[in-house]
Amino acid sequence: MAGVLRSLWSNRTARTGLIIVGVFLVAISLGGALMPYSATDMDFVNLLTPPAWAHPFGTDSFGRDVLTRVLLGGRVSLAISVTGVALAAMIGIPAGLAAAWYGGWTDQLLMRFADLLFAFPSFVLALFLMVVLGFGVTNVILAIALVYVPIFARLSRNLALTVREEAYVQAARLMGQSTTRILGREILPNIMAPIMVQASISIAFGVIIEAGLSFLGLGVQPPTPSLGVIMADGREYFNQGPWVLTLAGLFISFGLLGLNLLGDGLRDLTDPKLRERTTS
Amino acid sequence: MVWARFVAGRLLALVLTVLVGSVVVFLVMKSAPGDPAVAALGESARPELVAAFRAKHNLDVAWPLQYGRWLAGVMQGDFGLSLTVASDRKISGLIAARLPNTVFIGLMALVIAIFLSLIAGTIAALRRGKLGDTIATSLAALGISMPDFWLSYVLILVFALGLGLFPAYGFTAPGVSLTGAIYSGFLPALAVSAPLAAVFARTLRTSLLEAGNKDYVVAARSFGFRPAYIFVHWVFRNALIPYITIIGLQIRYILGGVVVIERIFGVSGIGSLMVDGAFARDYPVVQACAVVFLVIVLSVNLVVDIVCSLLDPKRTR
Repeated sequence: MAGVLRSLWSNRTARTGLIIVGVFLVAISLGGALMPYSATDMDFVNLLTPPAWAHPFGTDSFGRDVLTRVLLGGRVSLAISVTGVALAAMIGIPAGLAAAWYGGWTDQLLMRFADLLFAFPSFVLALFLMVVLGFGVTNVILAIALVYVPIFARLSRNLALTVREEAYVQAARLMGQSTTRILGREILPNIMAPIMVQASISIAFGVIIEAGLSFLGLGVQPPTPSLGVIMADGREYFNQGPWVLTLAGLFISFGLLGLNLLGDGLRDLTDPKLRERTTS
Repeated sequence: MVWARFVAGRLLALVLTVLVGSVVVFLVMKSAPGDPAVAALGESARPELVAAFRAKHNLDVAWPLQYGRWLAGVMQGDFGLSLTVASDRKISGLIAARLPNTVFIGLMALVIAIFLSLIAGTIAALRRGKLGDTIATSLAALGISMPDFWLSYVLILVFALGLGLFPAYGFTAPGVSLTGAIYSGFLPALAVSAPLAAVFARTLRTSLLEAGNKDYVVAARSFGFRPAYIFVHWVFRNALIPYITIIGLQIRYILGGVVVIERIFGVSGIGSLMVDGAFARDYPVVQACAVVFLVIVLSVNLVVDIVCSLLDPKRTR
């Protein structure tokens, strides 16, 4: 783990991403406790005040401190996205490994299904699921999972196919190890790096899906303050107080920029072709 | 012959995927909780009204028959009647009226994204490791990190409310006035294009760098051709294949982005129709929109595959 961090630190893109993600995580985990306001404190004397020292992100139409809400919302949105992506990985990776290992009909069936899910625009897929399941936190998580299951399945299948015939896999097979053990102990650890890259990028896009659904009013419902809910709120009085939506979105973009840079840096490190190029 | 068989095979796969996809969409829609008739007419609707509603909307038979009738209708371009969004109007009519707007915004976004990415990607590759590269690469990273709906509001704030250059809301259909459509569609298209331009620019940068390292480029350099000539004739041309491929693959993102952005800018397109349908629990409308999106994505993918197979015959195998 220390070795991974050190090589990440040596890559400029990954380092920038790591710093931004670090600041973002510290801000959303400690921010709420450090702020002198709570996310639901209403101050009817200071309705829709522009950003100032007392309220760096201004206040909303109820006089609530927007920065406090955004910090809390960031925690909610990130938690939703991480849960959704984790769920997708838990379903998609075993499916992909099974497809690669058994081949034949299993492979055909699973991959054609992944292709089918993949053919829908991701936001359309998420929207579709919200209509069927109804709105709310759990269903946003399921929608994000549905979007990423085919991506994880396809990625882990293709990666597993490349290592399936490796000597260490053959050795484990000859030693009579069980299929689950070979898949979990031999194949999975060796394909983990690209999967982590995908996960970090997926979490970034998962936050956008959550925010988009909630922004339209189809996702997380108020009073839970996810970033999408705060921005949907800000849209209502965008002409009088544009800072609510603008700064909340800037906060999302900042966090996602970190995740994307981290993903890029990770990819540079794990792709030997690119590594040659950067050192030459 | 090989090529014809390849195209025929892909066409058959497309039809099968759409069929299976429509069954899945149909079944998932059926599993949604709540009775559409009750949702449309209200809890206290008289039973005979509910029965009439079911008969009219083809809800009074078993689901395989419902699907069969629906499919037979779709084959003739009939998606049934809207339940709540536009009560009793033909969904095919709604889609026919709105699809051109969506396609127009999508194509405009594509043109803007290609324009921006050609500039940014080329600068980044030519000035690799220098300031120009850092700026272009950072902008690209920012482009995929900004939620498109947020960018829409920033654009509205700056260009519509602030500078007053473009309208903040409303869209003139291209059928009414082409210049009006370009003018009113510019901000929404720009918002959709930002993440696309970022992805395109990154791909172009990578493939330009890869093509620039090829042996034939080194050979051309050693012959003493001017760098600009080498770039246009060997590097750029060869970098175009992956660039075109990625453009085709991004059709999903264009359509996904359009769904949210149409609503913000008041564009009456198929994305806003789907969102309206989602709010009003208008199942046939959502179902029709999902199938239309599926057909568009698969058809574009097929066209890209065919174009790529023409560029690179190895792919037909």
